[in-house]
Amino acid sequence: MMHNPSKVRQKIMKKWIMGLRSCSSSHENLSLSERRWIIKLSADLALASVRNGSRRWSRAIIEEASRNPDNKGLIQRMLGSGCDYRSPCLIPREGRSDGNGAGHVTKSMWVATSSKKIVKRCRRARRSNGRAPRRNEAASIAKRLVKKRTQLLKDFVPGGQDMDDVSLIEETLDYIVWLRAQVDVMRALAHSLPATTSI
Amino acid sequence: MSGRSSGSRAQLGSSRISDDQIIELITRLRQQLPEIHQWRSDKASASKVLQETCNYIRSLHKEVDDISERLSQLLSTIDANSPEASIIRSLIP
Repeated sequence: MMHNPSKVRQKIMKKWIMGLRSCSSSHENLSLSERRWIIKLSADLALASVRNGSRRWSRAIIEEASRNPDNKGLIQRMLGSGCDYRSPCLIPREGRSDGNGAGHVTKSMWVATSSKKIVKRCRRARRSNGRAPRRNEAASIAKRLVKKRTQLLKDFVPGGQDMDDVSLIEETLDYIVWLRAQVDVMRALAHSLPATTSI
Repeated sequence: MSGRSSGSRAQLGSSRISDDQIIELITRLRQQLPEIHQWRSDKASASKVLQETCNYIRSLHKEVDDISERLSQLLSTIDANSPEASIIRSLIP
């Protein structure tokens, strides 16, 4: 997943600072919140760019940023105008949820999707002794809980709403490692600057 | 339901995924969590790992926001001629 963490951090730092500097000439008197936006956006784009579009989450970061027309300039400067990060397998927006976990239907690896299995389960429960129904109930509660938490995870991983459960976890594994690198880079810059500002 | 038999499989589109694969993914996920997001028992239920993963990512996102906030105050200007810019320049090899 990440063979050379320090090299990765270096790349992210370079890309990020390149993005920050690209803003210096066009905006002279930025408000605090505008600066904060640029700082965060360029860091996110630096991460996505260094990951090089090989992961769904990295493409999703760029896609989501592209939806805001105010970001177009920075995206172009950081990633180039011939942006080939657009994935052909993008699922259209209307299938997405508003983040409350409702989401469109994806194949879940946690829940038995076949209704046949549920019927079989009930039949088996009725046939066997009194303990079986309780075990089934615990198993189904566990499955519901896992499904609920999986839905929640989708909100935290860029592009997560459009992923099946297995891809979601694989993407999450990758995303965590790289997101950590972004945080390390940002922390390093914040610590390197003097505490007092100069105006 | 897979709780009843060890060989049960859940369907995933055209591919099938085994319980072992699920366990492996969850284990790897758990290994990525820092200690503060872990818990003493070895028993890593899938839902617990997923919950802690969400918490961890949320905390990373928050850190990005906090640092951005702090930097926006430290970088009073992203002007190329500012003292901050020279420090930034020195960070780039």
